[in-house]
Amino acid sequence: MAPKPAVKTLPRRGSLIDGVKGNLQALIVGLKYFLDPKRFTLVYPKEYSKLPKGYRGFIILNKQKCISCAACARICPSAAMKMIRIPVKDPKTGKTRMKQYPVINYQRCIFCGYCVDVCPTEALYHVPYHDVVYENLSEMFWDLETFQKEPEYKTAKEGSPVKFLIHEEYGLIKVPAEEGG
Amino acid sequence: MSGDIRFYGAFKDELGLKTIPSRRIAKDTYEIFIGPQHPGSGHMRIIIKVDGDVIVEAEPDIGYVHRTMEKLGEIRGWIKPIPLFERMAIHDACNITLPYVRAVEKLMGVEAPERAKYLRVLLCEINRIAAHLYGFAIFGIFLGHSTMYMWAMGDREVWIELAQELTGARLTHSYPVPGGVRRDIHDEYPDMVRRAIRYMRKRLEDYRKLFLDNPVIKSRLEGVGVISKKQVVELGIVGPNARGSGVAYDVRLADPYEVYDQLDFEIPVFEEGDALARTYVRVEEIKQSMNILEQVVDWLEKHKGEPIIHESVSSKYGPVHKKVLQEQRRAKLLPLHATMKVPAGRAIGRGETARGEVIYYVESDGGLNPYRVRIVTPSARNAIAFKYALPGHKVMDLPAIYGSLDYFPPESDR
Amino acid sequence: MVLDVVEAILGFPPVWQVLVVGFGFSLLVSVVAVWFERKTAARVQRRLGPYWASPRLGGLLHLVADMLRYAFQQVIIPRGVDMTPFLVAPIVGMVISILPVAVVPFTSNPQYWPLPPGAMEYSLLIALAITTLPPIFIVAAGWASNNKFAVIGGLREAFIITAYELIAILGFLAVAAAVGSFNLAVIAEAQNPVKWFMLLNPLAFLAVIIAVAMSTSAFPFEIPESESEVVAGPFTEYSGLLYALNMGGAYMRRFIYGILIALTFMGGWAPYNPGEGIFAGYIVPSLIVTVKALIIVLAISFLRAVYGRYRLDQALDIAWRLTLPLALLGLALGIIQAFIGLA
Repeated sequence: MAPKPAVKTLPRRGSLIDGVKGNLQALIVGLKYFLDPKRFTLVYPKEYSKLPKGYRGFIILNKQKCISCAACARICPSAAMKMIRIPVKDPKTGKTRMKQYPVINYQRCIFCGYCVDVCPTEALYHVPYHDVVYENLSEMFWDLETFQKEPEYKTAKEGSPVKFLIHEEYGLIKVPAEEGG
Repeated sequence: MSGDIRFYGAFKDELGLKTIPSRRIAKDTYEIFIGPQHPGSGHMRIIIKVDGDVIVEAEPDIGYVHRTMEKLGEIRGWIKPIPLFERMAIHDACNITLPYVRAVEKLMGVEAPERAKYLRVLLCEINRIAAHLYGFAIFGIFLGHSTMYMWAMGDREVWIELAQELTGARLTHSYPVPGGVRRDIHDEYPDMVRRAIRYMRKRLEDYRKLFLDNPVIKSRLEGVGVISKKQVVELGIVGPNARGSGVAYDVRLADPYEVYDQLDFEIPVFEEGDALARTYVRVEEIKQSMNILEQVVDWLEKHKGEPIIHESVSSKYGPVHKKVLQEQRRAKLLPLHATMKVPAGRAIGRGETARGEVIYYVESDGGLNPYRVRIVTPSARNAIAFKYALPGHKVMDLPAIYGSLDYFPPESDR
Repeated sequence: MVLDVVEAILGFPPVWQVLVVGFGFSLLVSVVAVWFERKTAARVQRRLGPYWASPRLGGLLHLVADMLRYAFQQVIIPRGVDMTPFLVAPIVGMVISILPVAVVPFTSNPQYWPLPPGAMEYSLLIALAITTLPPIFIVAAGWASNNKFAVIGGLREAFIITAYELIAILGFLAVAAAVGSFNLAVIAEAQNPVKWFMLLNPLAFLAVIIAVAMSTSAFPFEIPESESEVVAGPFTEYSGLLYALNMGGAYMRRFIYGILIALTFMGGWAPYNPGEGIFAGYIVPSLIVTVKALIIVLAISFLRAVYGRYRLDQALDIAWRLTLPLALLGLALGIIQAFIGLA
């Protein structure tokens, strides 16, 4: 059980008959797909692909769980995540003190998911979509409020959700999925 | 050599292939700059001098998409360069980053658990198939065969879907981390892989009929861009391009990493060294990669629940981490990964990407950042082939040779 | 007075045939052909192709939108070009490509022939002579562009002309030899109802189809415009309307060749027998011929989905070593057929 080299021979160009055969073969395959294309095109605005659960889409903060450890900001490879300090009222003592929370700049984010994986309390999580439209670049800086609510999946409103399954004959097939982002 | 007949770049006499004779280099050669903004050049420029329709001199002019990968690798810690290095060959992400991860692991003195190694091989081979299909697609459109382009790109989608199911991202997986991998497969995954393999085997038959056995394509490729075995060794060409010229060199064979030495597969080698041979190496590699995938998913099915990350990490897991690993099959990172320190030392990581051997030389001074990361990518080593494979051919052979070398400028320029 | 002159000009059969059939139909056909080409390629490639411009028509209006875009796009003329040929070549090239229609009869009824019966005797020769002219303007366009890619593309076009012209003419002459006449109407009438030369003389038919594919740079002979080395070949520097004229010219030439093939190899208006009157005597047979020509155009368009492109020398090799003997055999077959009186 080990890799081994295997010298193979190349099929060579043959006689005129082989050429005619090759041409016919190619034309027949072309016609076969012309008659039955076996498409799996996503007709985008009419349909949208509902991505599976583990998909690394937009990253959302669950503020209640955040313990301000700043591990996410430190591990972010593109420095998209930054910690900000905001005053928080301590419910027990009633005193106001400064606490750190992450905010994100989606101009820089590369969706590597390191921050989600490094978060010790699972305060950060992915939502399974990424095609959110912004009207201008400054909207892509998320403040703490925006960071906590899942972005509106506007494209979802125009079409029906489908998901792709791997199929032996067609490669991928579209099947209707349940509503929702 | 008699009269005015001269041979340019003709190295292939011993195998009986036709060489292309041409007239002596005239002074009034025509210089054409192909690229970097050209439909048939990719992100590079090839400066060719033509005498009539025959290329007499070719100069690959690289560097158009240089992004200082090596320097950036020195300033952002040990784990952050992984998503960065993926950008060299974005459709071959696991293959191109795995040697770096392995080099860091060597410095740290840790070794990934068995299951993590199999998972890495799984993604590597999925990447290899997808990258070869991508290469086919580009090759097809270079030869004017738009159907091959669309088919290969469409079928690549199947493998991307598999990679996405495994890692959560279509292309930039950032999957291996020092000590293991980030996610485990779910229970239906092996069947998905098997279905994809059965599908791809059927499709390869159609590829053969429409593209490889198509007389137009065959006559475009046969005897074109011949690189002899001697030349391959002298120029240091790697990957399928070397194996197409009869050099049985593959890192998986020469220095098996991860679990490649436990898997049963062939390294296809062709002797001819022309564009057709290089194309067939890729076809055969897709087949072999599918064999590997079958063995890997069989193993993974038999060994469920084994650790996917090294003990040094998993021993520090808290209850939340353990729960996530149990339920979501995600191996979480620890905050210490962000400010990891790696013992001082030097390590080499080698790996076989879809295009050939990639080498990382990683040096640590014991600090927060690598002291030096030297990257030698396969495309960087293959770029020189243009200079020697192109002369003596027609201008119309340029895309055929370019596509058959499967040269990827962002990988070369780093 | 002026109206009379205008009426006389427009009423002159060759003129309105060029305007209506030549320009109108060929514009329509090239839109349909481009649409079909894109849709076929998309089907074979497992895509949808043009769709969103008009989902119910399968995206047919997409091509109209494309044409409108070309019509209103800015025409950029680089400073270095040779202005007069640069502007004149695409326009004259396109006009000349549809000119063969001026001599083509669409009916056996001599009343509706574009030329007087005496001149009709040479209609095949005249039409073939005119079809050899447009490539000169493509070469001129490439040369005037003052661009290396355009020059190479133009040179390739020049190479290709030498290869296909002889084949096309010999192929057509095989039929003329078999029938014993250069009159397209006589040739078409001789095949009525099903004695088509496509079946009687498949060698010449195949040779002509290959020559037409070469002439109109269809796949696998799309060499002068080969995108991956010479960008757009002779048309690299063109933009907007001039580019559309250049590209449309190829489809129009393919359609004109299609009409000639329909008349000489596919029986023209057969199995229909043109009768009296403008409707039965002209419109119906001309529509039949157009449909047959369209089938030829679409069949050639389908090849895009299956083939890549040959190398220039290989294309010339195929033309001279494979197709020219084929055309000569076809000619010999035609002469034999004439000798035994088959046709």
